[in-house]
Amino acid sequence: MIVAFDVDYRYPDGTDAVSGASVRISPGEILAILGHNGSGKTTLGKLLSGILKPTSGRVEIDGTDTRRMSLGRIGERVGYLFQDPGRQLFTSSVEEEVRFALDIQGIAEDRIRHRTEHMLDTFNLLDLRKSFPFDLSRGEKQRLALAAVMINEPDFLILDEPTTGLDVRRKSELSRLLIRTGDTGVGMMIISHDEEFARGHAHTVMEMDRGVLRRA
Amino acid sequence: MVLAVSSLAVAFDEPLVLLTLAAITLATAALFGAGVIGALTRMRRLLGVFAAMGVIQSVFTRGGQALVEIGGITLLSTTGLERGASIILRILIIVVSASIMSTSNPRDIVQGLSQWKIPYELSFMVAVAIRFLPLLREEAEDTLVALQLRGVRLEQMRLGRKLSMYRRLLTPLIAGVLSRAENMSISVEMRGFRAFRCRTSHRHLKFGARDYTLVFATALSVVAVLFWRL
Repeated sequence: MIVAFDVDYRYPDGTDAVSGASVRISPGEILAILGHNGSGKTTLGKLLSGILKPTSGRVEIDGTDTRRMSLGRIGERVGYLFQDPGRQLFTSSVEEEVRFALDIQGIAEDRIRHRTEHMLDTFNLLDLRKSFPFDLSRGEKQRLALAAVMINEPDFLILDEPTTGLDVRRKSELSRLLIRTGDTGVGMMIISHDEEFARGHAHTVMEMDRGVLRRA
Repeated sequence: MVLAVSSLAVAFDEPLVLLTLAAITLATAALFGAGVIGALTRMRRLLGVFAAMGVIQSVFTRGGQALVEIGGITLLSTTGLERGASIILRILIIVVSASIMSTSNPRDIVQGLSQWKIPYELSFMVAVAIRFLPLLREEAEDTLVALQLRGVRLEQMRLGRKLSMYRRLLTPLIAGVLSRAENMSISVEMRGFRAFRCRTSHRHLKFGARDYTLVFATALSVVAVLFWRL
């Protein structure tokens, strides 16, 4: 379970981005965070995924304070989809990007291949496997980033604007995938402007307004 | 001023000269409201590297008095300490000088260079480079975070493996720069960039009393340093 206890976050320039946020992501639960641009949604997502450490209060992942966890350790439990998927791609082919997390764990090659094929198929990337990730369209990058995060089978997923750049068909594919993933016990937080999509999947909907989190 | 001080910092390697130049640079940065504290905080992270440089200089440079010696091998000497200090001061001067440049509006930099009769295509390139440096840093930081969130435990890796992970940051950085350059070139041409041979500007920069004082002080400092050390 990821739990935030009365978390504040202030950027180095003095801007208060999050004030007194308390929230939890439980296994199998989908939490949606709605809010206007600049309301602090992404900052909250980064706090819950340990990318940012709170100015005060604390965030715990299964009882351990994120201040005491390295990003590598957090990454074994939490998958994070950036608002701009291009920022989380770093290899020279789609296939390499998808299998990267398994390659560094030293898993057997046949198992890596099997899981990579499955993810490429699930995210409709089979025809693009040899493509350079940075040449893909925004929607393709989004699918690739999701595949690369989900192959690691994280216990929690934090998705920042996952529907941006997806057409209606891809959105419904993502929807089915999120439901299937939620059914396997993965806890999720969806940060979105797409209120219909977020409300359609979430068990709990919360709203951020000028850094303050409240139940919608 | 930035050019003069950083050139002197490269030309001289005596700690005393570099210390004087560092003091001048810091004073100027404070006068211009540059983020000196931020620049120094960033430097703090590199202290370990500088300490290692001091040790390497001591081991591989002959001369000076041995300060720490193990089994006949000098680990730290007065020469090594001096060279290490010189490297720290030199980098400090360059970093703080760069922070002074960042206090200027990129538009003013283009205008200033154009008034110096530098072709505006070149001035524009300089301004774009200054404008995009923070963005590049932000992108590299995000990619490093993404890399670790895939389960890469950098803190447990040996140096060689760690460096190969850092090397991965280059692909997105180069791809991003190329893509941005392409988009920007289309965007500026669509807005009439280089449509005419001459470019007029509503804005015109003028030297004020503060600028003349700074030029005079810089010239005086350069001459003083040259007389002192040559």
